[in-house]
Amino acid sequence: MNYFEVFGLPKRLNLDLNSLEKSFHELSRKYHPDYFTTAPAADRQRALQMTATLNDAYRTLRHPVRRVEHLVEIEGFKPDGSKVPKSFLMEVFEINEQLDEAKSGSASKEQIAALRQEIEKRAAGFESQLQTASTEWDKLDASCASDADRKQQLTRLTEILSESSYIRNLQRELEETS
Amino acid sequence: MPRIVGIDLGTTNSLVAIVEDGKPRVIPGPDGSDLVPSIVYFEEDGSVLVGNPAREKMVEKPKHTIFSIKRFMGKGLTDVKNDLPLLPFEVSPASETIIRLKVFGREYTPPQISSFILRELKKNAEAALGEEIVNAVITVPAYFNDAQRQATKDAGRIAGLDVLRIVNEPTAASLAYGLQERRQGTIAVYDFGGGTFDISILKLSEGIFEVLSTNGDTHLGGDDIDEQLIRLVLSEAKLPESTPHLPAIRKAARAAKEVLSSADSTDLVVDALGYRRNITRQEFETLIAPTIERTLKSCRQALQDAGLQPSAVDEVVMVGGSTRIPLVRNRVHSLFGRTPHTDLNPDEVVALGAAVQADILAGGKRDMLLLDVTPLSLGIETMGGVMSKIIPRNSTIPASASEKFTTFVDGQTSVKVHVLQGERELVSDCRSLAQFDLKGIPPMPAGLPLIEVKFLIDADGILSVSAQEQRTGQYQSVAVKPTYGLTDEEVERMILESFEHAEADIEAREVIEARNEADRVLRATEKSVEKKEFAELPADEQVGITSAANQLRETVKLADHRAIREATERLDQATHHLAEVLMNASIAEKLKDKRVREIE
Repeated sequence: MNYFEVFGLPKRLNLDLNSLEKSFHELSRKYHPDYFTTAPAADRQRALQMTATLNDAYRTLRHPVRRVEHLVEIEGFKPDGSKVPKSFLMEVFEINEQLDEAKSGSASKEQIAALRQEIEKRAAGFESQLQTASTEWDKLDASCASDADRKQQLTRLTEILSESSYIRNLQRELEETS
Repeated sequence: MPRIVGIDLGTTNSLVAIVEDGKPRVIPGPDGSDLVPSIVYFEEDGSVLVGNPAREKMVEKPKHTIFSIKRFMGKGLTDVKNDLPLLPFEVSPASETIIRLKVFGREYTPPQISSFILRELKKNAEAALGEEIVNAVITVPAYFNDAQRQATKDAGRIAGLDVLRIVNEPTAASLAYGLQERRQGTIAVYDFGGGTFDISILKLSEGIFEVLSTNGDTHLGGDDIDEQLIRLVLSEAKLPESTPHLPAIRKAARAAKEVLSSADSTDLVVDALGYRRNITRQEFETLIAPTIERTLKSCRQALQDAGLQPSAVDEVVMVGGSTRIPLVRNRVHSLFGRTPHTDLNPDEVVALGAAVQADILAGGKRDMLLLDVTPLSLGIETMGGVMSKIIPRNSTIPASASEKFTTFVDGQTSVKVHVLQGERELVSDCRSLAQFDLKGIPPMPAGLPLIEVKFLIDADGILSVSAQEQRTGQYQSVAVKPTYGLTDEEVERMILESFEHAEADIEAREVIEARNEADRVLRATEKSVEKKEFAELPADEQVGITSAANQLRETVKLADHRAIREATERLDQATHHLAEVLMNASIAEKLKDKRVREIE
């Protein structure tokens, strides 16, 4: 299932969210089960299925990370054991330990604030990396680049995703602390 | 199209409403009151009184007068064990997965008790409108889980209603407000009722009501505020929870609470105990402040989930009787930094909204559309008792997700799946929704079968499951056993029982239902034959359709449900091909060829 096609879009990562919302609303007005209450059972079922798919597609594409994950999936790309650098893992590990301290209540307000800043800084870093890599992908896709180039860029996107997932976990943990 | 009513099945009061001439109105009962108290009183012979007459029995016959049954919907014994000490009801020990209340030796589940209230509303609507009512939209708290929604639907079925949609209360309220309010902007609906609390953040644009996030607590409402006053009296009068004076104390507590919404102080009086004490609004507010704080916590979470600051909300709408409490209004005002709307009657606005949604379903209002969300994440149990989320909370519904399962042992022919709802990581901290076995997997070496399971949450927020083995393409049987609630067979049995008790003529009902179905098919046919696709059909097919339709129009006049059903079936078959052609044509036109094949 290619969610980009649900909206008649090419597989590009830079999306205009306003126009995406607009077509989401337009398509909802056409297919929503509310408008098929009195229709035969088969039509009702179809309206339900189509709207579910439309909603799944919108939920996925609207979200910058889920959007990239979906692209990687529909491109049928399987990373060959993508490696997260050991040094990065060590850093995450260290932040995690500080978080545990904060959770147990032994950290001061200032320490927690500093921790938050540290995590947010990294999150912002990944966000901009993802943005750059996404723009790069769009250029490749538009220029009908070679399979090798596409594969390389998908590898890059996958790496950013898997590294940033560690940071997202830290963010979640931080939420629970505060 | 037969009429569709909107029903607010509340913890404290229930209402029925309908749209007439484009405007929703509440349908009053024969006593002239709009509100039917959600109270059911049982006589020894099993007959019941509902509403105001039942309320009069609360103090006198507490064991036989059931109130606030909504708090038990979709719950098991362990869920409600903290409430029971303060409630006069007798609960059967066999209540682990569904509460069974014992009245005069008979057992009643919450959907059955609720069905008495629904039946009363149905009766009121039928008397006022002068026609049989079978179709309804029923509201539920937005934060209701799958089991609670299903229980509400079951209640409707037992009451002889075809529940066309379950709508979330705050969203329904926004529809009622939307009629006269702004067309664009972000609104927050703060719904604090008798038993439940909901907050929903919505975005309005050109008639589309899109819920961005929702949060709440299905066990937080006016009843909890009463309970705080009750506990105050118990401790001051040095009485145990088991005191027989509990109903009188509850009545006094409610009265005092209501007075304190407008007065600065009042006397809390329980005549039977010779108890009297003055309570100031300030004392009352200190007592309930922690309860109000819990609602604000939900509001902050909903705002965060919507990615909004409180100041980004353009309007705040207050719904539910508990929003009459001044402290509630003040706290909500200061959280959002704006005066909340209280212009519509907080007791009626949900029912009015339900009627508007009913009107949309009936085809009356095509310019409005409600896009609601699922309040809780849906997940499945994975290795190590961890919940793996497959549909996150606040996803627009209908929503779906697919998961692939395989076998762990050679020749294994079934796989167990456990479905859950909740936000926590561990299965034990989430709400078990259902378990099922994927059966009939062709014997293969371990890990080779690939079973794709599709989870679908429909527009009512209720889950259904289907499965397909990928290598053989074979569909698997999925018999979902709900963890909490009634099985389909039990509901069927209760429907039959309810007919006996209501002395309804089953035969007559069958005829009405058969006629409704016939009506539906006829109308759909009438619409289809006007399309150009009909004219393009072979002549014999056209004749087949028109004659089957004419035959049905004649048969409907007979009071023979079997004949009507047969004639309906014949028309349905005659139009089968046409329906396909029309559906394909409409899809092709709307979605353009290639995209559609993907959607399907």
